Amino acid sequence: MPHSKAITRALLLIAISLYTAFSAGPFAWTAMLSFRTTSEISKAPYAWPETFRWQKYVEAWTGSNYDTYFVNSMVITVLAVLVTTVVGAMAAHCLARYRFRGNRLIYFIIFSTIIFPPQITIIALFQTLVDYGLYNSRVGLILVYVSVQLPLTVFLLEGFFARLPQDLFDAARMDGYSDAEIFWKITVPIGMPAIVTTVILNTVHIWNEFLYAVVLISDESKRTLPLGIQKFMGDQLEDIGMIATGMMIAVIPIVIVYAIFSEKLIQGMTAGAVK
Amino acid sequence: MTDASVGRGAIRPLGRVFRISPDGPPLGTVMTFLTPALLVYLVFTAYPVLRTFYNSVHILHPRAADEYVGMQHYVQMTTADPTFWVAVKNTMIWAGFAPLLDVGIGLILAICLYAKAPFARFFRIAWFTPVLISYVVVGILWMWIYNFDWGILNGALRAVGLESWTRAWLGEPDTALVAVMVTHTWKWAGFNMVVCLAALSALPKEVLEAAELDNCNWFGKAWFVMIPMIRPTLVNLLILSLIGKMKIFDLVWIMTQGGPLWATETVSTYVYKRAFQWQTFDLGYPSAIAVFWFFVVLVAVMALKYAFRQRDRLEY
Repeated sequence: MPHSKAITRALLLIAISLYTAFSAGPFAWTAMLSFRTTSEISKAPYAWPETFRWQKYVEAWTGSNYDTYFVNSMVITVLAVLVTTVVGAMAAHCLARYRFRGNRLIYFIIFSTIIFPPQITIIALFQTLVDYGLYNSRVGLILVYVSVQLPLTVFLLEGFFARLPQDLFDAARMDGYSDAEIFWKITVPIGMPAIVTTVILNTVHIWNEFLYAVVLISDESKRTLPLGIQKFMGDQLEDIGMIATGMMIAVIPIVIVYAIFSEKLIQGMTAGAVK
Repeated sequence: MTDASVGRGAIRPLGRVFRISPDGPPLGTVMTFLTPALLVYLVFTAYPVLRTFYNSVHILHPRAADEYVGMQHYVQMTTADPTFWVAVKNTMIWAGFAPLLDVGIGLILAICLYAKAPFARFFRIAWFTPVLISYVVVGILWMWIYNFDWGILNGALRAVGLESWTRAWLGEPDTALVAVMVTHTWKWAGFNMVVCLAALSALPKEVLEAAELDNCNWFGKAWFVMIPMIRPTLVNLLILSLIGKMKIFDLVWIMTQGGPLWATETVSTYVYKRAFQWQTFDLGYPSAIAVFWFFVVLVAVMALKYAFRQRDRLEY
């Protein structure tokens, strides 16, 4: 028996190693391409970089507008996440802590939009933003991102806030805390683990977002990284090396976030699906 | 302000939407906390949804008043637009097969890790990485993998002497849809794995130990014990995956733009094309498709929920 068990384990290990190659290999390959010039790549697409050409990153950054795309992505992501977090936490606190008529109805209405396909709003959002002069503006895109991320944020935070012990709030109330103070000094600090989870989750979603950006932004100077990469791909189809460098510029910040917060991130992405 | 203004019960009945509380908090407090979220919701979600419904029964002339046409768009869409039906067919194929693939692979991977594979933490993180990478990057990367001349797929086929199997995977109508589907599953299998793993880890150890005492092998344990016990999670994952496939846009747009010959056209890419690419300047027609599809997604989700409803809940 122990013999066959060893074989089973070996087979298992081979299978999961193969899957790992399938799952992580393409990404590792892109990382290698990003350090090689296109002429090197066309000679041997799968070779290890002979010399690591770091200057390609400088070149992409200064010569191919990636500095603009990166700054746009950064500003839009930071502001949209900030607004989503504050607005979402306030609403979640209210829905979790206050009993009033219509509480569950509001919760249900906000939550149910999670299953809406984006097509149902995208055309009218385009029209609406044009009407208000927010089309092709970073402010408009930020507001749209807030609205897109809000349901999930409220859902996750409400679930967490509702489980905080009521005694805390009763005690604060007796100490004469106002409603605003209860929110800022009790719910926010104690709810921080959940808030951090939603912040990371929203950051990844907004950083990677493509559909709303492609519909609502048209100026080169306002493009985010996903749009910039797509544009560069369209213009320089053959320049594999530089495209790979641009792709890495978009991926590296996410990898950093992942390296620091991998547990939190996985937890956030999967919250709600586990039952 | 009374104590009652802070909700007493953190645990609320889920079934009831309305709750009557005679000593509720002052309206002002509630409104202060809720107004920003409700405002964002009204302006950027509720109003656009209603406006899309309005669009769908009008022709929107760029420089003139909107013209009411009733159900004309819906009639045209269902009776006189073959491309629309191709898009529906492709999306349905995708939504029919891919969720099983996503959840199935995710479940198998999760069981592998649950079976105490070494380096489980490393594998879990490596398998989850594709989930975090943007569709634009994933799409371009896989266009290279599928490249006819130097893509690794054709390279591997040539290396093992299957030269005749090589093809331009994204360029041929027969294989393009499957190729994009594989890419999408590549991105999402890790997500399903992590959720399944979390559900498995939450199972009580005693049940699995009992199965072991009954001399149950791993396959038996997985099939007769684990899968039934994490069934609610699997159903959730299937529904999430289905919703994802029903609205799929990004990856298709990057990789094929619906081509070749509409082989990968999905409802989302078709709506986008009709609204923003064809120079028809009519947002009414694509809005009608969007409304139609909105109801299809709703019905599909409700049907799945109903079909997989738990008749006899397992308690553990």
